[in-house]
Amino acid sequence: MLNTWAARAFSGGLFVLALWLSGCAAPLQLEHLAPSAFPEPVEIKDVVFFPQEEYQCGPAALATVLNWAGKKITPDALAPEVYLPERRGSLQLELLADARRHGAIPYVVRPLLTDLLAEVAAGDPVVVLQNLGLSWYPKWHYAVVVGFDLARDKIVLRSGLEARHIVPLALFERTWRRADYWAMVVMPPEKLPRTAEETPYLQAVVPLERLQRWNEASVAYETALARWPLSLPAQLGLGNSRYALRDLAGAEQAYRAAVGAHPDSAIAFNNLAQTLADRGRWQDAEAAVQQALTLGGPHVETYRATLAEIRARRAATE
Amino acid sequence: MDKLRRLSKPIAYVVALGVLTLSVHLPPAQAAIVGTEAVVSAQQAAQDRSRVQDMLNRVEVKQQFLRAGVEPSHVTARVDALSDDEVHQLAGKMDQLPVGGSDALGILLFVFIVLLITDILGLTDIFPFVKKPSRR
Repeated sequence: MLNTWAARAFSGGLFVLALWLSGCAAPLQLEHLAPSAFPEPVEIKDVVFFPQEEYQCGPAALATVLNWAGKKITPDALAPEVYLPERRGSLQLELLADARRHGAIPYVVRPLLTDLLAEVAAGDPVVVLQNLGLSWYPKWHYAVVVGFDLARDKIVLRSGLEARHIVPLALFERTWRRADYWAMVVMPPEKLPRTAEETPYLQAVVPLERLQRWNEASVAYETALARWPLSLPAQLGLGNSRYALRDLAGAEQAYRAAVGAHPDSAIAFNNLAQTLADRGRWQDAEAAVQQALTLGGPHVETYRATLAEIRARRAATE
Repeated sequence: MDKLRRLSKPIAYVVALGVLTLSVHLPPAQAAIVGTEAVVSAQQAAQDRSRVQDMLNRVEVKQQFLRAGVEPSHVTARVDALSDDEVHQLAGKMDQLPVGGSDALGILLFVFIVLLITDILGLTDIFPFVKKPSRR
């Protein structure tokens, strides 16, 4: 008698405890999602599948989306670039960095279920970080969302050893929420993510500059300008990458657009001046850098140096 | 020997700082193209100070990668691929950040039961043999 009571109390207590421990009280984004938002089922069938080896879901997920972006690469080749042997896994930041090393643009999607689904509906697979366990007993995992069907309550993932891991939406959202709704798409430079916003997109492109991937950077800046024609960082970035590629005429054109649209940008005037000087147009160069000096700002030392150099080079040639 | 090892980190910092202060302060300003990062970076103020800090962070992250078992020949390229903001997010905090790895769980019986129940309830996704409930 006492035994059955104790057993019942124990299992009931465990049930309540499980609910409490899993912190499932807060409402899901899914509850606010109208099924009419995405009425049609979506599945991007051509996305390759790499069954992951042990702990290697990071390289596998990254290889999946890099291949989608047109880069032929295997998880084995990526492992030395993103895997941390002692921790048996991969950091989110390293997946971003490594996508850039392969000349693609990694874009972190806003932490919204609607944005995730919009990217998939636009035809691009999305890498997600999930915590398949509990907040206090995590099991971190990368998977790639390739499809969903709101009416049938399912989402389709390339995950682990399963080419089509089908999960109910609420369960997926819980595992994704426990990883702070982290998701990324990996795009070729000529294509903008469906949900891209100006500043985050450009922040995703700029680090290509330190890798000297100037070709990809210039294409990505042009992609940004097609959507945000007056974006100062995109105009400057286009000028800077063309300058690095020694396309001085193209750089001048981009900087001229920048100073035209943003006559208060000292950086744009300075970089225009540097480019004009390299083309031997001393007078125009000096006028441009004078404008930069008038505007001032945190880089004023550089502008002074630019002016001094223009004068010295001019004196040397005349 | 052990003492030496404990000292190696502060020494590395001091040396790095020395080298950096030299390289940061010797050439005052160069006529140059100002990089795009200057207009999109969240923290463009206090540029010189942050440049030193960025380099220190990179030294720190390199050591973290080595400790995490990354082949020394791969470490430099991996750290170089990170932007300054990313290095800033990693430095000193790497151990607390999640690594997606689908770790096989070494499960205690209690945790096993909790996870089994949460799997059945559709809160977690640990066991492939549990049929997951659908909401609708």
